[in-house]
Amino acid sequence: MKDCAPVLSVRTVKDLVGHFAKQNRLVLIPLLVVLLLAAVLLVLTQGLAYVTPFVYALF
Amino acid sequence: MSATLGISANYHDAAAALVVDGTLVAAMQEERFSRIKNDPSLPLSAARACLSLARLDAKDLTRVVFYENPYRKLERVLTMSLRTFPRSLSQFPRALASQLSGKLQVLDELSSRLGVPRDRVLHREHHESHAASAFFLSPFERAAVLTVDAVGEETTTALWLGEGRTLTALERIAFPHSLGLLYSALTAWCGFEVNEGEYKVMGLAAFGQPRFRDEFRKLITLASDGSFSLGLDFFDSHTNTEVGFSPKLEALLGPRRLPGKPWDLTSEADRRVADVACTLQTVLEEALLGLARRAKERTGADALCLAGGVGLNAVANARLARESGFRDFFVQPAAGDAGAALGAAILGALDSGDARPAPLERLSLGLPVSSDDARTIAKNLGLVVTPLSGPDDVAELLAKGEILAFAEGRFEFGPRALGNRSLLALPTPIAVKERLNRVIKRREPFRPFAPAVLEAEAPKFFEPFAERLAPFMVTVAGVKPEARPSLEAITHVDGTARVQTVKADSPFGAIIDAVGRRTGTPVVLNTSLNGKGDPIVGSVADAFAFFLGHSADALVVDDVLIRKP
Repeated sequence: MKDCAPVLSVRTVKDLVGHFAKQNRLVLIPLLVVLLLAAVLLVLTQGLAYVTPFVYALF
Repeated sequence: MSATLGISANYHDAAAALVVDGTLVAAMQEERFSRIKNDPSLPLSAARACLSLARLDAKDLTRVVFYENPYRKLERVLTMSLRTFPRSLSQFPRALASQLSGKLQVLDELSSRLGVPRDRVLHREHHESHAASAFFLSPFERAAVLTVDAVGEETTTALWLGEGRTLTALERIAFPHSLGLLYSALTAWCGFEVNEGEYKVMGLAAFGQPRFRDEFRKLITLASDGSFSLGLDFFDSHTNTEVGFSPKLEALLGPRRLPGKPWDLTSEADRRVADVACTLQTVLEEALLGLARRAKERTGADALCLAGGVGLNAVANARLARESGFRDFFVQPAAGDAGAALGAAILGALDSGDARPAPLERLSLGLPVSSDDARTIAKNLGLVVTPLSGPDDVAELLAKGEILAFAEGRFEFGPRALGNRSLLALPTPIAVKERLNRVIKRREPFRPFAPAVLEAEAPKFFEPFAERLAPFMVTVAGVKPEARPSLEAITHVDGTARVQTVKADSPFGAIIDAVGRRTGTPVVLNTSLNGKGDPIVGSVADAFAFFLGHSADALVVDDVLIRKP
């Protein structure tokens, strides 16, 4: 078994876009892209160090 | 050969389960390896352990099935955040970052870390996995299936019809209306940890009266068709991820109890908390009964299956068994998210053409302990080792009043210790309960302990109960008044006990039988082998770590007895 860090595969990107298209949620994709950048910043700045219980429960 | 690995992870209590040629061969939670209670991280150690037990390699896996749909989950996070904007603004970046920093690419991560081609890594739906774990491990050919938890992708409650090898979705209730979230928010209000303290609320409820019915009518509306809706003003789970309720809840029920404050159930403040817990428990039971009646009406089935975290509420299960109108009832005993790994594995196996698995009869699905390892560790630690000749030796120690840390065979899957990783004692006197609660397990003094009783002898000591549930400790039974003096350490304040029945021809049953021959009562107190805040013991080394850190009288590992010098 390997222990390398994963990145989004082409398959996942395809499935993700396919899912949003199928659900007629394409309008959410620009939002997703913008917030992806915010999320990357949060991860890089260790903003996820404290994750409260309902974040696990809900998100 | 077909081999399917089911995985649940990333929220709480991650687990792996392995089905080989239609047989459930192993299932384990990651917490038993990482020693982090309810560890949500990807269960790689558990997966490896499942494969090693089956003598398989990851390349042998036909498929790996993740228990929920990561894309639908992300969609729900986005849409709910937009709907609740701008209140959601404070939590939104964190929630999204949580999704994008691992949860969205979970299938890629499973493929990469396990070394399984990506096209063999699939996903199912969260409630479908729960439903599959309940129905396909039940003995029923046709049954209504209820799945009730906090939230999956967006479903919180679902009704299914199980027939043979198929599950058909019939009805669902969507987030944010959720019995699991109601219970969790009130768990936080009672001062307990969310996703962990729900058992404590259930135990506390027995000390209270349901005198807050009027207030709870504002929190939840139960409709005549079995559906329900929450009073959303009182819940704030997408903007307040710490406790999940809004200031309006405290205005309605009073200020939340401070976590960690010592309990005094003679005080007015703590009696009020007990009354809220009791009202919550009553309302939950009524909501579940409404769902069950709807399930009966919609399916006409004779049997009911239940899974999802709410299925761990043993008191509610007992009421469902009595009052739901179904002739038979099965609760998948690892009903929380860990158990959804079972369902994911079974769904994948059925897709591969495997036969439906045999009904679940035991939960000892983890790794075994070895007495040779125990001897070696004991010798290295300078502990005293004595060989045991059989169950009579263990029973003799229990009959003398000793509290034994007991590890035998493979560890259990799910939240209950059923005699493989248990602390055992006689069920009387009450001082046993006090010593266990206050000194060994260091938990709240009001919390009850469970009895393990020989199956054939149970009617002598307990009122009628759901026999199909009792082997897994997911129901309660009234303790007969005449039996209470000999069972005082396991009789809760309301006269009930979370009973576990054990077959006499099992290793644990042989010990209980031997205890019965000595004391006249074939019952032992059985509580999980873990310290406060720790997962239940898995390995021999974990058992020694517990024994050295706690004041149990002795440690039994298979056929050896270990004492401190």
